[in-house]
Amino acid sequence: MTVNIEKENENMIAHIEGRVDTTTAPDLEKTLDDNIEGIKNLTLDMSKLEYISSAGLRVVLKEQKYMSKIGKMTLTNVTDPVMEVLTITGFLSILDIK
Amino acid sequence: MNTHNQNLMNEYIESKETFKKIQEFTMKRLKELLVDEEHLFLAGMESRIKEEKSLEKKLELKGMKYKTLSDITDIFGARIITFYNDEIDLVASIIEKNFNIDFTNSIDKRKLYDVDRFGYMSLHYICSIPKSLYSDPAYPKLNDYKFEIQIRTALQHVWATIFHDTGYKTDVEVPKEYIRNLSRLAGMLEFADDEFRKIRDNIDEYRNKIKKLVSKGDFKDITLNIDSYKNYLELNPFDDLIKKIAKINNSEIEYSSLEPYYEILVDMNIKTLSELEKLRVDYSEDAYKLSLLQLKGTDLDIISNTVALQNLCIIYIVKKGRGEPELLNLYNHLYGEKPFHTTIVKKILEQAKGIASL
Repeated sequence: MTVNIEKENENMIAHIEGRVDTTTAPDLEKTLDDNIEGIKNLTLDMSKLEYISSAGLRVVLKEQKYMSKIGKMTLTNVTDPVMEVLTITGFLSILDIK
Repeated sequence: MNTHNQNLMNEYIESKETFKKIQEFTMKRLKELLVDEEHLFLAGMESRIKEEKSLEKKLELKGMKYKTLSDITDIFGARIITFYNDEIDLVASIIEKNFNIDFTNSIDKRKLYDVDRFGYMSLHYICSIPKSLYSDPAYPKLNDYKFEIQIRTALQHVWATIFHDTGYKTDVEVPKEYIRNLSRLAGMLEFADDEFRKIRDNIDEYRNKIKKLVSKGDFKDITLNIDSYKNYLELNPFDDLIKKIAKINNSEIEYSSLEPYYEILVDMNIKTLSELEKLRVDYSEDAYKLSLLQLKGTDLDIISNTVALQNLCIIYIVKKGRGEPELLNLYNHLYGEKPFHTTIVKKILEQAKGIASL
């Protein structure tokens, strides 16, 4: 998994590529946490995210809870396999997906 | 201006900071007492310190009436505007418990009117701050100066403001017919104040009745509306189902509100709580099977509590033969219209076919 961060003022886009699972979720969490200070709009670009496990979902939920207090977080370009995970776990109702 | 009035004006100018302190403390304390502690939803709270010119005018007219500045009770004035007329007494009792009240000079205009007269019916309390509540050595007269707190309803406030704006207190005499019309309007507003209170009481009574019935599990004939739905949710009716679904992968459950589903249930033509309860009882097994089909074999061990009701709605829609359009409506309603919903709905319909009892 790789994460590329794009930042401009209070906006940040995290381009997530590959698979976010038990092994890679901590790296995603660390990258987001290291860059999130001062950010009001966080976008997770999931166009190249092939798979997300529960460990990855927990990271996404953690960031969502944090961002909901200070700004907002949006998921974009969610791929079909990831969308299926969000649907069957019910997290479509919690996350803002564009 | 005579010497007596000039002395009063001088004391007023010297005491302005004290009045500002009285204003600051009183408004802060009133907010704490009424809004933070009593949770009253007020139409407004306002205050002012009398301007120099206004005091000069007052003294010109009746300066000899006042020996010292402490005798003038409206240099600082606060106003509390309630929505309902029975809240006036509640606010009054709270003020009585917390401030010193000069009952001799306080006026309850609600009691002044004869049975055939209507008008400005607010309650005016002349108060001071008790030393036990607040004092400050930097402002030695802070506890001596009196001030006025007016309490009135929003309708009384509108009437009083318009009545004041007609200039009835000015030198220009307003024809009696206009004043009479304002009095007629005051009667109507008094009636409206009573009616608003009755409507509120009736709604509260209805809500309490529904709450009691729902808490006993007596759903018969209870119309599904946002209040009854919230009461129903307080019973955690979907907990058994979500816990059963969570057991599939020993999942952690992430809880969030189920209130957004109210609109969906209405769209699904669920009209009573009995129908909703029947939906829950009749379709829980299939809703579980749908999750079993979706989650079994995956490593997903975190789910949202919304899955239970989401799946119940899906099963209901499919069983009623309403199919793709209504499922699409469910997703669009819950999550806003998104192009990817069509793909999700097709997939779910496919999965639903995998459940034997459908």
